[in-house]
Amino acid sequence: MTGALGIYNYWIYVVLMMIGLYGVIAKPNLIKQAIALGLFQTGIFLYYISMAVIDGGTAPVWTTILDGAQKYEGPYDNPLPHVLILTAIVVSVSVLAVALALIINIKRTYGTIEYDEIEAMDQADKRADYQRGQVTDAADDVEHKLEGHHHA
Amino acid sequence: MTAVVIIDALLLLLVTATAVAIVEVRSLYASSILTGIYSLLMALVWVNMHSMDVSFTEAAVGGGISTILLIGTIVHVGREEKPIKKRLHLPALIFTALTGAALIYGTLDMPRFGDPAAPIHHYRVPEMMAQTVGFVNGTPGKQKPPEGFDLERYRRFDGRVAGPIPADPKDTAWREKSILQTYGLMVPQVRAAHEPHAEEGHHLHPPDDFNGHVPNSVTSLLAAYRGYDTMFETTVIFTAGVSLILLLRRPRREGYLQPGAVMSDQVILRVVTKLSIPFILIFGFYVITHGELGPGGGFQGGVVLATAFILYALIFGRAALYRVVPPPVSDILAGVGVLIYSGTGAVCMLLGGKFLDYSMLNKELPGDGESLGMTLVEYGVGITVSMVMLTIFNQLAEERST
Repeated sequence: MTGALGIYNYWIYVVLMMIGLYGVIAKPNLIKQAIALGLFQTGIFLYYISMAVIDGGTAPVWTTILDGAQKYEGPYDNPLPHVLILTAIVVSVSVLAVALALIINIKRTYGTIEYDEIEAMDQADKRADYQRGQVTDAADDVEHKLEGHHHA
Repeated sequence: MTAVVIIDALLLLLVTATAVAIVEVRSLYASSILTGIYSLLMALVWVNMHSMDVSFTEAAVGGGISTILLIGTIVHVGREEKPIKKRLHLPALIFTALTGAALIYGTLDMPRFGDPAAPIHHYRVPEMMAQTVGFVNGTPGKQKPPEGFDLERYRRFDGRVAGPIPADPKDTAWREKSILQTYGLMVPQVRAAHEPHAEEGHHLHPPDDFNGHVPNSVTSLLAAYRGYDTMFETTVIFTAGVSLILLLRRPRREGYLQPGAVMSDQVILRVVTKLSIPFILIFGFYVITHGELGPGGGFQGGVVLATAFILYALIFGRAALYRVVPPPVSDILAGVGVLIYSGTGAVCMLLGGKFLDYSMLNKELPGDGESLGMTLVEYGVGITVSMVMLTIFNQLAEERST
């Protein structure tokens, strides 16, 4: 397949990755960020599997007809990207699970899973420590950022 | 090929639309369900691109387990995203647009979809298909060459016969040569691997046997060529299970179990669950055992096995599940799976081969040894994956809402 349609898959892989990246940056909700990270990963999966396709090929599993009269002899798609991606998918669910466990712990500690609220709470804590004279380094910076935040 | 491209184009449009919806919809519950839909669409995309094993994994993991895990977490942390004032995050939009533009500029030089002259189709594909990676480059490897395999012919064609990629990649003469090479090389090698061996001992195999070779090249590569990689991927999954236990499990003195909702008073759910669980289990074991014959293997089968237990827990409660698989048992089994994998490797060493050199397991019929080793390894992976998925589900479901 030549022309623009020939690199269509690679464009979609970029689009999926960028949707995921946008979600990770723009959404303050941690669960949304974990899901967006998954979208980013699937973009990469698409890139790998698209490369494996060969014109006129089929799945890389030997086929045979028992009387031996007719055998399919190829071409087969490249099996190596399939191997890499199938393990990557299972690892991606492990990553998701650990992320969710951390999010549950964050919810338990902070009472929220919105990143901006967590950040504000941390800053308020630092500010309180600073006022009590416990923290001295980089505290000016913290105080400067804290205009208007009055949490905790 | 045209059909592949058309279906691919339409499916990927749907996928992209779903991805936008997943990020933009405010309800986390809706977002999780859309993630399941997204994964099933992706599974169709993989099938369309002939990647059966990946599709199987995506359907089982993405469509099944991830969605359950997400919903299980949302129960604890709230199902609505906080309303944000600005719908569109302008800096993020500009940043992703610039990155995306740069990446798309990079794709302009990519080989076209399905191009037989692409470099990826020149690197060891025939060997990978014939499961002979390792001996063709002159170094003695795991397997004897199949009968009729012409080593000299291979060396002549070894990935470099069409010459280095010319300055102009659209050089027609080079392309034609290269395409001829890709297809021409593939056919005799695959045929050689299909045909019965004349060697002594191989007549024992029935005619429908693959002479000890593993028909599913994906499994063959997974367990042999990429054997170390797969072993450590299994370890990564095991580590995830350990992390979940460390992060979320309560001390034993408080008891493992918090009362959870039970749906066993629903007659239809109860009966359908009890009827389907045996079939799910059999299917899981089938997928693991036949990983070397067709699509499937330890990862997919393990996830399928885990869904049987999770379904049981969802309908009859985790108390019932803990009577079947107590947490200490699933913890230990998760480690046992990794142990089976590395133990198989160690046995190969004890028998005089290299680590994970399965042909040592049956020195008279090395091909059968390979088959046996791969099945053992797949079972190791399957046990670890199923038990870790079960542990992850248990820990996420167990967490008391705060």
